[in-house]
Order: sequence, then structure tokens, then C-alpha cells
Amino acid sequence: MINVEQKTIPENINVHLLPIQKFKTVLVTVFIHQVLDKDLATWTALLPAVLQRGTQEHPTYRDLKTRLEELYGAELAADVIKRGERHVLSFSLEVINEKYAYDESLLQQGLSVLRSVIFDPLLENGGFKKDYVEQEKEQLAKEIQGLINNKINYAVERCFQVMCAEERFGVYKYGRVDDLEKITPQGLYDYYRKIIQENPIDVFVVGEFDPESVYSSLKETMSCSRAPGVKEIPPEEVDILPQEVNYHEEKLPVNQGKLNLGYRTRVSYGDEKYVPLLFYNGILGGFPHSKLFQNVREKASLAYFAFSNLEKHKGVQLLGSGIDVSNYEKALGIIKEQVELMKKGEISSEEMENTRRGLLTQVKTLGDNPYNLVNFFLDGLIGNRSDNIESLVQRIESVTVDEVVNVAQEVNLDTVYFLRSLDGERGEVE
Amino acid sequence: MQFQVIKKETLEEEVLYAPLDPGPALYVLPKNLYNKKYAVCSTNFGSIDNAFYVKENGSKETVRLPDGIAHFLEHKLFDDEEGNVFDRFAYYGASPNAYTSFTNTGYLFSCTEYFHENFDLLLEFVRTPYFTEESVAKEQGIIEQEIRMYEDNPQWQVFFNLLRALYKEHPVRNDIAGSVESIRSITKDLLYKCYNTFYHPQNMAIFVTGDVSPEKVLEQVSGSLEQKPAPPRMDIERVYPQEDSPVNQREVTQKLSVSEPLVNIGFKDDFNYLRGRELLFRELTHDLLLEMIFGKSEPTFMQLYEEGLIDEHFSAGYVAETTYGYTLLGGKTKDPEKLYDRVFSSIEGIKKEGLSQQNFERHKRKMRGDLLQSFNSLEFIANNYLSYKFRGVDFFEILDILEGVSLEQLEKRLHEHLREENHAISIILPPEGSSE
Repeated sequence: MINVEQKTIPENINVHLLPIQKFKTVLVTVFIHQVLDKDLATWTALLPAVLQRGTQEHPTYRDLKTRLEELYGAELAADVIKRGERHVLSFSLEVINEKYAYDESLLQQGLSVLRSVIFDPLLENGGFKKDYVEQEKEQLAKEIQGLINNKINYAVERCFQVMCAEERFGVYKYGRVDDLEKITPQGLYDYYRKIIQENPIDVFVVGEFDPESVYSSLKETMSCSRAPGVKEIPPEEVDILPQEVNYHEEKLPVNQGKLNLGYRTRVSYGDEKYVPLLFYNGILGGFPHSKLFQNVREKASLAYFAFSNLEKHKGVQLLGSGIDVSNYEKALGIIKEQVELMKKGEISSEEMENTRRGLLTQVKTLGDNPYNLVNFFLDGLIGNRSDNIESLVQRIESVTVDEVVNVAQEVNLDTVYFLRSLDGERGEVE
Repeated sequence: MQFQVIKKETLEEEVLYAPLDPGPALYVLPKNLYNKKYAVCSTNFGSIDNAFYVKENGSKETVRLPDGIAHFLEHKLFDDEEGNVFDRFAYYGASPNAYTSFTNTGYLFSCTEYFHENFDLLLEFVRTPYFTEESVAKEQGIIEQEIRMYEDNPQWQVFFNLLRALYKEHPVRNDIAGSVESIRSITKDLLYKCYNTFYHPQNMAIFVTGDVSPEKVLEQVSGSLEQKPAPPRMDIERVYPQEDSPVNQREVTQKLSVSEPLVNIGFKDDFNYLRGRELLFRELTHDLLLEMIFGKSEPTFMQLYEEGLIDEHFSAGYVAETTYGYTLLGGKTKDPEKLYDRVFSSIEGIKKEGLSQQNFERHKRKMRGDLLQSFNSLEFIANNYLSYKFRGVDFFEILDILEGVSLEQLEKRLHEHLREENHAISIILPPEGSSE
């Protein structure tokens, strides 16, 4: 049983303490929530990069990294994550347990570095340091353009961009290159100040620590002046019924085609149908025993990977596989057929029970990894679902085939995205 | 048979070892606070083991295997008479998987319930090959798509192009999955031959961790050996070609659909049959050395980053195996030539200035922290334990070996290893006509 102690620190910062014994490290994560919006995304994405470059106390990246190395290689990471139609700034600090470091204040010292990165950035002329902003703009532009380097991720992202072109979910988490030009060090700092004053902030601590003393050091290190009320982040648009299937093709010089089917389930994480939806996704393509793996790969040998993935907050699902472009029709046929079988309720008791056990294993092992644990509770906050691991386990144990088939009836294909090769082209070694 | 206890205070870990005869070597690391239970069964056979002879035959006639056969065998071992074992693992809620590296092949599962049933299943399927011509043909289609997937992966391509530039003969230059052509020559008979040669218990090891009963695990392994006794020991000699110091090719370039160029620079180390603590010592020495030149707290990283020549993923590391070793560094860059010049001028600069004791202690401390952090993961512990065991060293010694690394050894290897003569560079360029 993992107990979460909920507390707040002024103003309106939520603290979630998870004292657990088995880890060799203590993980502290700070999440600042923002809406995912096409005009704000680039600004939000630039923030963690700039903040990590230097602080008042550690003005250069080198100073910061040197300090972290002194703290036994404390791991500091800052990034943006996309959860449904939320854009979350994520800062994490992982320090080794003090008993391995012969230093009793390691966590305290780490917290002070984390504080410095989030709340005391290096400033000049009423804005962030200009050089850092300009360099990070260049790096972010490369990051955005670099999506294409990983073809599997590229095809997944593109499928959702096409499918949700008119929705906030279609916004790429690193934003758009064209927005970068107009971002100034002062403008970016003003934007950040507003966020840390008004937006929801959650702090998680996981590992072996004394809750009382960590709470009081958080109160000290994370205190900042904030607006009295916290801004509300609007919920996801989930209930969208596709009118007709959108077929979209893109050509690039590749050796393997990527076929992605985007579905709308119209069920989000807070919905009571969510756990039956997990079964739907699992039976269809979440495991090696699933229909997609068994039929696309094992029986037809068309692919090395064939999977199904759920975005739990937006309630969209992606069925993906990597195939030879000449097998497009064949693979598409087999995949659609598996979805039809689900709708018809052709689910064997073996598929049902194997999926149940597989899901139980996934949920029960969440507590074995500090990052997974934090993500689980963060999802609960975002999706307004108050499950803990034990209650989720109970719900999984009770799901029936009928519930799964009911969910299957509601799932609709929206977009078929195919990344294919140019005719007759291949990369060549010179 | 009783367990021997291998205890490591610095890690607060205790692993139990059962020296079964003729094998497999069995290790159990009880972790009572974890829900996950994890088991991996590995054989000391990887993609580089593509030629061997059987000693007692008297003749030294070498058997040559097609590239990619170890990986192909890994895929096919999951088959049984009814199809494959995925469903049987799924029945017990386990998530099975496998991997093939240059030097070994591992079969694994994780679960929370029915550990002993799953473990029996693992022992059974790894010891029961079932290959047919039909299933081999079917797998060729699947692995062809796996190879195609890697062909579109620029990081994979830049890396293997570099290995082919560094090595003339050594099979580390061959893709682990082989090529679409080489896997076509794999037959069911060849798979059996490989299996019978390299999956002998004496060549295998098992690592189990989680909240399990060590005695019961030992019973299961012994039971499996009683039920199906190991065939007589085979004395196999693996054959690796003579690889001399000079690199095969200085520079290799490939065009792929990427947003900006990708560079890997490699330094080939001497071929020296290191094993055991010496080998791990060498790996740590070089990793520390590279951190002191290219680490994120060092001026080189900062300068290259500020000029936009690298991004935060730029990295450097050393690979130490018994039959080969090399340094690899690189990442994405807008200007491969400039980056190349700067890497070499940094190395030359450090050679002139020397390494600082204060920085050395700090980097060592960071490495210690990073290692401890990795020990949160049961998979990390188990997989590394076996992979180092096959190289003759107890992975739990790693913090103690790290303590013993001195600045003098780094200085020595800096001059011996990071030399212009033994380097090669691999570059991936965006297609012509694209911007930058």
C-alpha cells in the first residue's frame, strides 16, 4: 500500500509526499500546469531550456552542472510534457539516498539547486539573459525540425496532428519554428512570471525520507509569491464523432512504411468506462498475445512491430505498425478486421483473462519505479480520477467482456495516416 | 547444493550464487520490497560469435554461421509445437521478452503473480527448441521488417557505419540482425546446430530478482536439469579474425532523411583479450577520462553547445569487450567538419594541460551517484550482472573498482588511446537540396 500525504505550501502549491523504502534515490518533481495552445506552446516549450542554462546562484550551465556533480551526480531534468490538452512544465531532481553519500544534507542541497532553477533564474534588463534565450531558440528550432529523425515517433505525431488539426491536442509539444522569432528575453520572462504566479503547481517527493522534515524544507525552499486564486486549466475536448475517415499519405525517403490508424474512443481517464477501455486496448494491441501482434506479425508476418496505444486524457487511440509499402492494403485490411472482431464481441475468455492479468501486472509494478509512480498520481490529478493502485486493481478484477464490447461499439476510426517511401529511393553509403 | 552469499556493503545488496554443474550459473537477488519479479536466462552467444570449431574432433575445421543467426535464433526459440509461448506467459500475467547483443542473448520475463509457473515456463522454452522450415520462412518476413526499421534509424546507421569503418575483419562490424540477404540463408538445420553448440547449460547463466524464494528457484533449476540432463560438455573454440590496430576506413558518409547531420567519432583500442576486473577497470577508466574531456561540466561541452555545434544529447563513452574495445562520441551537429576539428583540438589541449585532480574527484563522485541511481531498476541489475559475469567479473564490484581508478591511469590512456591514428568518423547527411 502506497500512501500519499497531501499538503499545501503557500501560496497554493500542492505537495504530495510518497515515503517509500526500497529505492536508492529520492526523487523530487515539480509540475507547473499550462493549457496546450498553439499560440503558447512554443513559449512554454522554451522555458525549461532557458531556465536550465543558469540561475542567480549558478549563473552558467557549467556552474550548475558542477554543483550537481558535487552532489553525487544529482540528476536535474526540465522539459515539457503533453498530457491530453495540457502542457506541463516538469522539473525533476533525483539525488542518491544520503546513506550512500556520507552527507546528511544532500536532499536539502539538491532542493536548493532545484529552487534556484525554478524560482531564481538569471536575469538581465528585466528579462532572461539574452544569450541564453537566443541559443535556446536555435536549439528548440532544431528539436522541432528533428522530429523527423525518428520515423516511428514522427508518424505517430503526424497522425495525431492530422486527426486533431482543429483541436488543441494537435499542437506539437515543442511548438512551431515560426513562433521563435518574435520571442524576446523580456517577453518570455513576463510570460513565465505570470505562469508561476497563477498556474497550478504540484510537487511530488518519492523515496526514503522523513515527511515532516521534507515538508518543512519544501515550505522554505519552494515558497514564492503567488496569486491568491489558481487558474483553471480547461478540460479536454473528448466527445467528438468523426464524420468520415480521413486518409492521409506522406512521402519521405524511407525503407519501411509506417501505417497508423487514429481512433476516437470518446472515453477519458476520469470516465467510468476507462478501465474497460484499457481492456479493449490491451486485447487489441497492448501485449504480445494481442490480436494485432498475433495477426499482423505472427500469422501474416507483415511487420516486426504492431501495437495499440491509448492517450488516456484525450481518449484517442493509435494502432501502429511498420510494414513494407507494398503491403499497405493487406495490413490495413487485417488491422480493421481485428477492430471489427472486437466490436462483434469476438473475444475469447483466454484473451480476456490474459489481458486482465497483464494489466494487473502493469498496475501492481507501478510502485517499483519512482517516475512511474509520480506519473500515475499526476495523471490522477489531471484526469480527476481519485484511484490509488489498490482501487485500480479492484476495478480491473471486476471488468466483464460485456463492458469491453460496449466500449468497442463506441470507438470510431478517424484518420488513416501512411508514411511511405518515394518511388525507388534508398539511402546509400558513399 | 547450497547457495553461496556474495555480499556488497557499499551497495547494500546481497546476491546468492549456486554453482550448478555443468551449469547454468544461478544468481538470486531477493528484493522483498518490490512487487515486480524478474528473471533472465542468458547464453554467452551473440552476433560476434559467427565462427567456431569443436576441439575434440581433432580437426580445426571452422564452422561459419550466417550473419544475424544469433538474433534469428532468439526470435525462433519462442516457438513451440502449438505456436509460441507468448500465450502461456500471458496466462500467468507475465510479460516475456528477449534481446540479442554483440556478445550474448537473453530471455526474460517480469511478473507479479505466479512467479514459479512463469519461471518453469522460461526454463522449459529456452531448453526446448522447435524449428520448422515453415516457421523459419515466416520469421524471415518479420526480421526483414526489423532490419528495414533499423535502416531508417539514423542513430543506428551512423553507429554501424562507424563500426565498419573501425573494423576490417572483426564481426562486431556486422549488424546484429544481419542483412536481408544473410538471413535468407538461415535454415532450420543451421538453427539446431547453433542451438546445440551455444545453448549448453555450461554456457548459460540465470539471474532472478524480486520477492521470490531462492530455495524454490534453485529447486526448479535443478529439477529442469534432472528432467532433461545436459548433454556431454562440448569444448568449443570460437574463432575471431586477427584484427590489427589500423582502422579500416577513415571516413564514411551516408545520406538519410534527417533534419541535420549526425556524427560519430570512434577510437579503436588494441585487441587485448582483457577479462574480469581488468576489463571493468578499463571501461571505468575510459568513461571517466571521456567525462573529464567532454562532460557537461567541462569547458569543451559548454563552448560547443554555445556555438550550436552540439545539443544536450552529445555524449561520449567506452565499450570494453574481451575481443574488442573502442571509444565512441558524437551526436547531431550543424557542421560535422567544425565539430571534428574541435573534438581533436580539445583532446590535444587536454594532453598539453593535463587532467586536474579536483575535477577527477568530482567526476568520480558523479559516476558513483549515477551507478547507484541505476540500481533502482531490477532489470538493470539483472541484465548487467549476467553480461559482466560472462566477461569474468562480478558487477557488484563496480563501486570498489571505480574507487581504485587513479588520475595517472587516465593520463596514460589519454596518450595511448585517444590518438589521431586510430580514429574513424561516420557522418549522416540530410538529403541533397534540403536546407542546411
